[in-house]
Amino acid sequence: MSERPLLEASGLARTFHLGRVAVPVLRDCSLQVEAGEWVSMLGASGSGKSTLLHLLGGLERPDAGEIRIADVDFGAAKSKVLDRVRVEKVGFVFQFYHLLPELNVLENAMLPSLMPFGAGAAVGRRRALELLDRFGLSHRLSHRPRALSGGERQRTALARALVNEPRILLADEPTGNLDAHTGEAILDVLSDLHASGLTMITVTHDPSIAERADRVLELADGQLRVPVGLHGVSTHNGKAS
Amino acid sequence: MYQFLLTARYLLSRLTPFLAVAAVALCVALVIVVVSVMSGFLNMVRSSGQTLMGDVIVSYPVRGIPWYGQFIDLLEANDDIHAATPVIDTWGLLRMPYPEGDSKENERVQIWGIEPIGFAKVTGFGEAVKWADIPPASLPHLVDDALAANGDAVLAALDGAARGRLLSATAADQVVDMSTAQIEHLAQSLEDGAWPLRIRMVATDGTDALEAALGAQAWAALIQADARLAGGGRAGQDGLTLQRDGRPAMVTGIHVSQANRRDSKGQTIIARDGYWWLPRFELTLTTLPIDARGGLLEPESIALPVANEFSSGVYLVDKTRVLLPLDMVQDLTHLDAAELVDPDDPTVLLGSDPARATMVLVRGVQGTTPDALRETVRELYMDFERAMAGSQSPPPILDLSPSLGIRTWEEQNASLIGPVEKERELMRTLFSIIYLVCGALIVAIFWAIVYEKTRDIGILRSIGAPRSGIVNIFLLYGLAVGVLGSTLGVGLGWLITSNINVIHDALGDPPAWPGWLLIVVGVALLVAGIAVSHRQQILPVLLGSFALLACAGAGVGLLLLRQAGGVVIWDPAVYLFDQAPNTVDWPAAWWTALGAVVVSVIAASIPAAHAADIDPVKALRYE
Repeated sequence: MSERPLLEASGLARTFHLGRVAVPVLRDCSLQVEAGEWVSMLGASGSGKSTLLHLLGGLERPDAGEIRIADVDFGAAKSKVLDRVRVEKVGFVFQFYHLLPELNVLENAMLPSLMPFGAGAAVGRRRALELLDRFGLSHRLSHRPRALSGGERQRTALARALVNEPRILLADEPTGNLDAHTGEAILDVLSDLHASGLTMITVTHDPSIAERADRVLELADGQLRVPVGLHGVSTHNGKAS
Repeated sequence: MYQFLLTARYLLSRLTPFLAVAAVALCVALVIVVVSVMSGFLNMVRSSGQTLMGDVIVSYPVRGIPWYGQFIDLLEANDDIHAATPVIDTWGLLRMPYPEGDSKENERVQIWGIEPIGFAKVTGFGEAVKWADIPPASLPHLVDDALAANGDAVLAALDGAARGRLLSATAADQVVDMSTAQIEHLAQSLEDGAWPLRIRMVATDGTDALEAALGAQAWAALIQADARLAGGGRAGQDGLTLQRDGRPAMVTGIHVSQANRRDSKGQTIIARDGYWWLPRFELTLTTLPIDARGGLLEPESIALPVANEFSSGVYLVDKTRVLLPLDMVQDLTHLDAAELVDPDDPTVLLGSDPARATMVLVRGVQGTTPDALRETVRELYMDFERAMAGSQSPPPILDLSPSLGIRTWEEQNASLIGPVEKERELMRTLFSIIYLVCGALIVAIFWAIVYEKTRDIGILRSIGAPRSGIVNIFLLYGLAVGVLGSTLGVGLGWLITSNINVIHDALGDPPAWPGWLLIVVGVALLVAGIAVSHRQQILPVLLGSFALLACAGAGVGLLLLRQAGGVVIWDPAVYLFDQAPNTVDWPAAWWTALGAVVVSVIAASIPAAHAADIDPVKALRYE
């Protein structure tokens, strides 16, 4: 019997309501990600990439469907279960970094470890220092985010996402707000992380990210499909897997 | 733990929460000042009653209680009673020494005849006597008086050395480099009439300087005329014994004399550079005695020196009351011992009527409650009543004499204390409404903070912060604002309450410099606002203009107030006491502070719940 994928999502549906108008964003959307795999999702603006990422990370609930990460089924779970999933199972990286301006680099990076079910202050501090050192930010520990460059902010955000040693990293346009050179540097960091065995899902419309991923999927018409001309694709029952 | 970290950082990195802290602090301080002043006022009314009248008062106006000596003996034999003293309470006119000339002013006064030693045991009279010695400003005037009375003896006792000392002491700031020979020559050339002026001038330097300059003999001659010049608490002693130079004397309330006024530092200033110090003078007191049937008898007048003045702190008492030896007032009011004669044949002696006292003041021993003491006194009075029932002038019977009262000091002052208590509760209730204002301010400010921190809330939720964690951040924030604001408020309240008389006196006679300083600060703030305004920004200039308006407005207001002669809010004539209460009501202060903390947390809970309900995805997209 083969091992179950690290992440399994099936039949995900999500509809937004703009006044009286219902806008379906995801329709019967399914995805499986193996441990250690890097999946990159492409899609036009407004196609629902970020929404899918938020569903997979437990930031919001689907209208229908199931999500499972490392045997924790949380698709329709209570808020407390989702909170715990966000602490223990996933790490988020956003396009606009989303660091807390009142905290310095070290405090931002270790913040998730202070959450309930987090690694704890002592372990979190040690891991944050290690990660920041690995990302070349050990000289910036006491600086506030406003004193950092875009690349430094995103590396701090990466350290924050990894401090609780999540099972999967969810990155939403991680280079979308960076110049090409800095974006490349961030991609190098992501590649290193992947090489060290981290499971990652990145949402992007940047082909250079997609090229580095193990597998690329395209979100169109509310469903994931294999884009034409890209590699690492297999289909299962007509849905991406 | 992250809640504490974020609460601390949010608190320290923004100006907005300090507006909430300032609002809480001001509310708390305001309530503390108002409640403390009202409570202090009530306590002053209560304690002044006890200080001035003892614990229990037995009173029988006009006719007085006969055989009061026996009654007092009976009272003082009881273990619960520390001391008792007789008083006669009546009214009269006091002819004041001012103004100059024959036409003098008269003051209507309440006369209390007392036995000073017993009176001091029952009341706070011992601490109330105002002058231990002659006030420095009045010393030269008393020296004038003494020289007028015994000047020849003083001049006769002045030897050459003393004259030289007097001259060198007074000439030091007038004549430069005078040799001893020159001084001696000048001393010989001066006529006798010039020496009193020289002595008076030295007296402005104080008793010690005068004694040193005069020499032993002349000094002895001077203090023979007025022993109070020797100092050593003689004036205070005179006051406590109601005597001056061995003669019976009176002690007047400090505000009976219009020549006394309190300056901004709380010191008593005597008009005309100390000239109108009342204990210099002998005053005439006139009373209208009433006979047993309530009819007016012939007015009685008596001239008495003033031994001292007293300051009880109760303005109405200090303004109207004079204390005289009991036997003198008994004479004046015809309540002294008298022979009873047959109205049809005055040569037939029927017996004697004892001296009377219209009040007996009773002080209980430490730990006795006034109510329990009143019952004890009541029982003892009934014993006294029975014991004296067979005498020719029996004491009034308690059950048959409505005007005979045995009351605690609180009951005696009930008409005063009751309204003050009600007023305090009213003020406390009205000012508690300020909590609502405080709560509304916190809701508004925290709502704005939540609005500003919406994206932070989304970030925290994305890394796993539960809703309860978000709620706790803002509740902790509210708690921190409440605790900080309350602490500052208690401090501010203490500062204002403790210095309320200084502030009040400053408002009564405002100095010019704070007004000018405020105007300068206002102008400086406007200039600073213009200086920091880049690219024609409006806000710094607007803020600078507001600062100018506020500061300069306050400054001009102060200067106008000064021009108008200041403002008196605490009028002693209205509030009974010459000083506002300046002690913080600490239990009320802590309850106020605790209330403010609770209100802050409750008020913060509304924006906190709103923050927790924010959709994290929408929050992350919030710009």
